[in-house]
Amino acid sequence: MAKTEKIIVCCGTGCIANGSLEVADALEKEIKRQKRKVKIVAHVERSGCSGECARGPIVRLLPRDTVYYKVKTTDAKDIIDSLEGEPVKRLLHRQDGKFFEHMHENPFHHKQHKLVLASMGIIDPESIDAYIEAGGYVGLKKALKMKPEDIIKQVEISGLRGKGGAGFPTAIKWRTAAGYDNFPKYIVCNGDEGDPGAFMDRSTMEGCPHSVIEGMIIGALAIGAEKGYLYIRDEYALARQRIQKAIDDCKRKKILGKNILGSGKKLELEIVRGGGAFVCGESTALMASIEGRVGEPRAKYIRSVQRGLWDQPTVLNNVETLASIPVILKDGGKKYTKTKVFAMVGKVKSTGLVEVPMGTTLRTLIYDIGGGIIGDRPFKAVQTGGPSGGCIPEKLLDLPVDFDTLSEHGAMMGSGGMIVMDDRSCMVEVARYYVDFLCEESCGKCTPCREGLRQMREILTRICEGKGEMEDIEMLKRIGNMMQDASLCALGKSASNPVLSTIKYFRSEYVAHIKEHRCPAGVCPKLTKFVVNKDKCRGCCACSRACPTDAIKGKPKLPHKINTKKCISCGSCREACRFDAIETKGR
Amino acid sequence: MINVKIDGKKCTCEKGEYLYDVAKRNGIFIPVLCRHDGFEDRRSCCRICIVEVEINGRTKIVTSCVYPVERDCIVRTKSKKILEERKVIYALLKKRAPESDLEMPEGFDRLVSLDSGKCILCGLCVQACDSLGSGAISTVNRGTEKEVNTPYGNPSVSCIGCLSCANVCPTGAIEFKETANTRTIWNKKFKLMKCEECGKVIGTPEELNGESLCDACKKAQVAEDFRKTYTNA
Amino acid sequence: MEKQLKKIISAYPKDRHYALAVLQDMQSKFNYVPEEGLKMLAEYLEIPESQLYSMATFYKALSLKPKGKHIIKICNGTACHLRGSMNLVSGLKRELGIDPDETTADGKFSIELVNCLGACALAPVMLVDEKYHNRLTLEDVPRVLKEYGRK
Repeated sequence: MAKTEKIIVCCGTGCIANGSLEVADALEKEIKRQKRKVKIVAHVERSGCSGECARGPIVRLLPRDTVYYKVKTTDAKDIIDSLEGEPVKRLLHRQDGKFFEHMHENPFHHKQHKLVLASMGIIDPESIDAYIEAGGYVGLKKALKMKPEDIIKQVEISGLRGKGGAGFPTAIKWRTAAGYDNFPKYIVCNGDEGDPGAFMDRSTMEGCPHSVIEGMIIGALAIGAEKGYLYIRDEYALARQRIQKAIDDCKRKKILGKNILGSGKKLELEIVRGGGAFVCGESTALMASIEGRVGEPRAKYIRSVQRGLWDQPTVLNNVETLASIPVILKDGGKKYTKTKVFAMVGKVKSTGLVEVPMGTTLRTLIYDIGGGIIGDRPFKAVQTGGPSGGCIPEKLLDLPVDFDTLSEHGAMMGSGGMIVMDDRSCMVEVARYYVDFLCEESCGKCTPCREGLRQMREILTRICEGKGEMEDIEMLKRIGNMMQDASLCALGKSASNPVLSTIKYFRSEYVAHIKEHRCPAGVCPKLTKFVVNKDKCRGCCACSRACPTDAIKGKPKLPHKINTKKCISCGSCREACRFDAIETKGR
Repeated sequence: MINVKIDGKKCTCEKGEYLYDVAKRNGIFIPVLCRHDGFEDRRSCCRICIVEVEINGRTKIVTSCVYPVERDCIVRTKSKKILEERKVIYALLKKRAPESDLEMPEGFDRLVSLDSGKCILCGLCVQACDSLGSGAISTVNRGTEKEVNTPYGNPSVSCIGCLSCANVCPTGAIEFKETANTRTIWNKKFKLMKCEECGKVIGTPEELNGESLCDACKKAQVAEDFRKTYTNA
Repeated sequence: MEKQLKKIISAYPKDRHYALAVLQDMQSKFNYVPEEGLKMLAEYLEIPESQLYSMATFYKALSLKPKGKHIIKICNGTACHLRGSMNLVSGLKRELGIDPDETTADGKFSIELVNCLGACALAPVMLVDEKYHNRLTLEDVPRVLKEYGRK
């Protein structure tokens, strides 16, 4: 018989925004109310992000493993009534007409391989005991009995590579730092996740902060550091709060401090709150920021493992990399499966966090796990690696996703942001968007990045407005190539990727903008006119309600009409139309 | 000793020496705008000094002013690729600082000038102010909005009017005005002091710190003191 | 104000490493970093004021002008951008008459266009103070503003 002992309510940023805290309260109230009459053993726990932010609040009953989506406070009674019996059908995941009660049956989950995400959405991130009960700090205990080189050996065997994007082998980094006899040394966690569309690190810090802390302690043991910093993005308030709680709990349990679990080893951890600068995700800029200076990168010919924070040997690892360490030490490097967490968002049916083995193809990710494109529209591109990445077209969807393959094709795996685009995304506009983003986020120190981006923005804006010339494409390429070679830091070197990759794979869209003064996707306002297809329009009025400028008129059940003079080409009507009746033309 | 072949010329250097310095010592000119011998810290931000380095058959592009030579290599400072990319950088800088004396390479008509003025943001002025002056100026803002200024653009309390910033600027972008008795820079007006002996202008009271003679008169005075000491006059 | 600034500064050791943290605290206390605060911190840390001014203008979390009582952050991350975040900007402009980076005359609202807030699955997202408002359309803007005391 189905049994429920725990009711887990996801309380990550996404679910909280959807009202999960209120749902948890409502469930607790309902239990109290019903307990007067019947015996209920279940209690409510608040968990971290389970990665399905789009369909929150998510409520999970354990051990029977029933998952409810989009729960409202008014559902509390039905859920409590269902603890031991039939599930509440309307709250279950539904796909292609079928209902899925258990998480592992759901296609979004069953093709994943969860290591970093394993305990997320299951254990209470604010409880150190819950983490320990789930096998936490076993890896640390093993590491405490090992020599630094043996710890590094296990990491080497696992084949772990930095998951922040660069893919540098973690063991080599640690070994180099361990080799310097220059103290103090530092270990730093890079939690300045800034790529638009990426939220793996936020979720990990919110959902399982102890795995990051444990990874850092093990790293510190391996390299001989006694002080560590976690640089966490300004906007991630909840993540900072949970990491701080985890640090405090560890100190109380003597897992951190002057005598780690009686071993005589020391480590202090400190959170540094980011200042709101994308470039501080770059290692040397991040260190400048920790030192209390402007976050400008420096030339990296002398690596930071040798001279990093305050010119001392410093190891900087990304959140996901550190969170992978405990399991490697616990189970041994041999057993470790190389995985990567992606944040899959955009025009894909199931959005959220996805952890898969390295080498999974983009097609598996988008179609098997993500369920395909919203409304079954044609796929156009997937943008990986944030502003430093590139746009990958349909013909490359069978590429395995790993560190090297994608960069060979002008994109990069990056930290794991993955934005799916359909035929209604204009690739020139997408390139312009990223360049615009980087214009603001470039630190402005070196010429190629600062001036190159500015000129590219001018040119791309010109093209989007129909004032481009064919030679502009050539100029974009010249500037872009120079930026790749001559920029000071990784941000600048990769800043032209979105432009160069869209020119490479979607050149025809550039040409349409320039020669035909037409935006094929119907996005660029100055080149797009919206019209109603009379044969398809059913007169449902969805478009006229959505129109911000009252440009659409029509009687119910009769075809509508768009007043071109009033229309601002925002596309709201096209998003609202369920009959594909809004079409675009060139101006 | 490391062997470096630069543009076909055989050179040698110590491990860790900057490539730019090796080239310069051997009479090979690599253009650069943001580097000054007087400052140890190299910002390496103009990126004009890029060159190609080949080690074991693998070629990469590096910035020569901060690239430490660690092993034998072949260096090309004027390959086709380097010349092309340097040209693009020059063009970008000229569009940023159209009033500067930088030359505009041909073929960049589609680029627009986004600024007026002469500043190329090399940052030498800030370095000069930090090490010779008083830390009165800094870079302000970030990204494409970056500029050099005093806090809030106001006359700075700490500026001593020493002109170190203006003197080090490679494009003459820092303006200052001098009359017979005053000097104005960064919106701050200074009184000018004159040498007590010969009457030559010697600087602002803030930078002189009590000094009242010009260099020549000071030397003469020191010599006179020496003479008095040794001749017991 | 001087007293409050002193209290904020003296909570930290005399170490440049804490400069950003002190400035952040000033920002949350006053909704901006006062000129007075920069001067006092420069004296405390014995570094030129210009270097702190450089930081205050570099980091987006800091501002030198007072901000409104409620800070509206419109996420313009890729997912939000593709799902119409710029429409929210024009909606706010219509309602409040201000563009991003501006504050209403009555000091009630400031608008900021920010980079990805990491809530992409809920796009487009608007963060008012600490609360997320998700999947917004143009029509929702007046309703959200009403929650913060706008008639």
